[in-house]
Amino acid sequence: MNQLIYDAAVWLDNTEWSTRIHESYYLYNWIESTHVLTLMLSLGILFLIDMRMLGWAFADISANKLATRLNVPMLLGFVVMFSTGILLVYAVPVRSAQSIWFRMKMGLLIVCAINAFMFHRKMTASIGTWDSEPRAPKALRVGALVSLVTWSVIVICGRFIAYDWFDCDYPQSDFIRGIAGCIDGQTQF
Amino acid sequence: MIFSLILNYRKTLCSGLFFVVLVSFFFSEAIFSSHIAVLPVFEWMETTWFGVAGKTWGALFAVVQAGHLVGLGVLGGSVIASDGRLLGLFNGLPMRLVVDRCHSVFAWSLVLLVATGIFMACGVAIKIYYMPVYWYKMLALTLGVLFVFFIRKPIVDRDLDQVSPWLLRLLAISSMMIWFTVAATGRWIGFS
Repeated sequence: MNQLIYDAAVWLDNTEWSTRIHESYYLYNWIESTHVLTLMLSLGILFLIDMRMLGWAFADISANKLATRLNVPMLLGFVVMFSTGILLVYAVPVRSAQSIWFRMKMGLLIVCAINAFMFHRKMTASIGTWDSEPRAPKALRVGALVSLVTWSVIVICGRFIAYDWFDCDYPQSDFIRGIAGCIDGQTQF
Repeated sequence: MIFSLILNYRKTLCSGLFFVVLVSFFFSEAIFSSHIAVLPVFEWMETTWFGVAGKTWGALFAVVQAGHLVGLGVLGGSVIASDGRLLGLFNGLPMRLVVDRCHSVFAWSLVLLVATGIFMACGVAIKIYYMPVYWYKMLALTLGVLFVFFIRKPIVDRDLDQVSPWLLRLLAISSMMIWFTVAATGRWIGFS
């Protein structure tokens, strides 16, 4: 599996546009800045909705209306964030694919997607029963808390990707090499 | 007439005047001597517990950075929700409640941002001291804080039905531009 991921990453790395993006100081930085600044639109608004569910903020505003109205800018933010994220991985595919933090981030993104799907289902099913209550029912509160914690850890993982503690071009233990997906004799990093 | 206008908008006028003086000072020759004078403060910052911890433990620094980013996200979210409502978006949400509740979230996230920001600044104090963009960020942050607490808040605390919608829109657009500038200059520090 790791060999397959490495081969795919090497193939991406050898494409013209991957090189263009990571060799271009301004383009790469613009993409990265957009990725980070879109946090305000995506994660910022998601956290507002989560805080409403937990009763930490906006307790006297209809939860359903708040979530419905803020959904559009939030989703727009996530679209920009995922698009720029894909471009960032495309620019540095081998290092990204072999980063423990990137792998953890992708795993947590899947957890977030499942949680968001379940949250949405529960929210739709319970509309009208608690809308003006200061706190959402327990199941939704758990979903909001999972969302807050998981996304915060995703931000930490995203930040850790920049550090080279576990990079494959440094001597690492077998355990680290295994979970990072380092390949014996690999030539590209 | 002019006297009553000055009385009604004294906080706004004082903040505006203070900021004009600050910007004039910032771009005058007097800034050079002041810049040299604050160097010992930045040298001291690196010797504090925050400075030593930030430099010694890269992981701790990165976690605090992540906290800073989360704070930025929440602050940005509250700005977008509140200013978006003032611009006439998010129909159906009560404007008064959205603006008031967003302000509380904004204030808490600003506290988180400043706390994590001080920690990070201590870890790389000498480095940022020599970065013009760090000082631009501080200038933008000062403008943002003055704007929110002394210009925007006094206006939105009034009966919103009595305030001109154009003034509310102007406030909202200014607010979003200011906080985007604060965030963008912060990101720029990372590239310098």
